[in-house]
Formats: sequence, structure tokens, C-alpha cells
Amino acid sequence: MTPMIDVVFQMIIFFVCTIDLDKKKFDERIKLSMAPHGKAVEKKDPRTMIVDVNAKGQIGIAQAYMDAGTFEVMLRNAVSRYGQTMPVLIRGDARTRHRDIRRVLDICSRVGLWKIKFAAIKDKAQPVEN
Amino acid sequence: MTPMIDVVFQLLIYFLVTMKPEDVTTHLEVLRPSPESRQQRSEVPPNLVKIQIFADGYTINDKALGIDGLSDVLQKLANLDKTQTILIMASSLSQHERLVAVLDRCAEVGLNNLSVISTN
Repeated sequence: MTPMIDVVFQMIIFFVCTIDLDKKKFDERIKLSMAPHGKAVEKKDPRTMIVDVNAKGQIGIAQAYMDAGTFEVMLRNAVSRYGQTMPVLIRGDARTRHRDIRRVLDICSRVGLWKIKFAAIKDKAQPVEN
Repeated sequence: MTPMIDVVFQLLIYFLVTMKPEDVTTHLEVLRPSPESRQQRSEVPPNLVKIQIFADGYTINDKALGIDGLSDVLQKLANLDKTQTILIMASSLSQHERLVAVLDRCAEVGLNNLSVISTN
């Protein structure tokens, strides 16, 4: 009995740690818009490039904000590795002006990416009372 | 055995309290002109519906409407043909929220050929 509990513990700790790692990839300060009718995400292409655009219009990947030139170089590198069918997911803040989203779209067009998705919130999680 | 169960309980309570529920996200897919088809873009698709998004409102085929009016029109369009191309033109100063709102309404009625273009 006891060795099994040990194993279960190890597994719980493993999952808790890995879930946390996955969450840190996104900028939590970005307030996504609501889209209650969108399809829930079922499977995601592992090549997906997730691009954050915050309310100030800055472009970022995995919490690192960069200028448009650097972003274009990064995308070019990714395209040469994964090809032009690589999807791009844009996490734009609800308050961002379209011209800042457009900068990302234009760079995607320039490097030949055409699979563009916009992230939105389907269901807001119920806030926990603290 | 019993002290261990106590510890397990403590851990459980700790994780329950610190856990932050995740929002369910959705990915709204749009069509962008692919580089190969850019040359052939001069031909106008047969029945084009044009939605324009401005910072203070929407127009559909140059008729100004609110978001709910837009929904009704899209519903009627979807009843006719779900595969027709909807051209969504977002102006520079419109909030991203508005573009997502339009994409959401299109997803609601099942329209899936959505082209997004930026205008000034």
C-alpha cells in the first residue's frame, strides 16, 4: 500500500509542476476579448507560433517583447524550419488598436504565413472567493 | 499511516486554494491571402459580403448597423449559403475587440469563409 501512495505522490507533483510551466508561456496581463460562440480548441498544431500583442501594441513571444524587425527575423527562422503552413495564433488585447494587429498580419504575409487565428475567451472561469 | 493522511489533506487543501481556474479559450480562424494566390486576386468573388469595422461602429455592404443588427444579417446570409466569402475590413483605429466580436458572430451562425483585410 505505502509504496503505491509514494508513486501517486510523485505523479501528482509531476503534473502540478508541468501544468504550471505551460501557463507561464503566456502574458497574463493581456485581456482577451470574449467570443462565446467560437469553437473550443480541440487539438492544437504543435508548431503553432503564439504571438502576444498587448494593449500598448507591443509584439511579444513567450513573454519577451521585441520590435517588429526582430519579430520578422524570428518568424523567418521559424518558417524555414517548419514551412509556410505553420499556424500563427495572435493573442491580441481587447483594447489594442487594429493597426498594431495589422503590423503582425503584414509581417506574417511578408514571410508567407497565411494560417492566422485570433485567440479569444469562450468561457470565463468563475473567480474563486478569497 | 494516519499522520500521512493528514499531510495529504494539507496538500490537497493547499492546491485547492491556490488553484486558479483557467479561462476556456477559443481560436477564431480567418483566411489570409496565401502568397501563391496573390497574383490571382484581381478576380472578384461572385457574391461578396463586405463588413467594415470602424472605431465607432460597423457597416455591412456600406449600410451602418449595430453588432446585433449585424448578427441578424449574418444569420440570414448563413441560411442562404454558409460557404460564401465574407470580407472583413478593419480600420486602423478600431479596437481588436470589435474584430473578434464580428468573427464571433460569424462563428455563431456558421459562416467559415472569413477574409480579414486591414484598411486605413
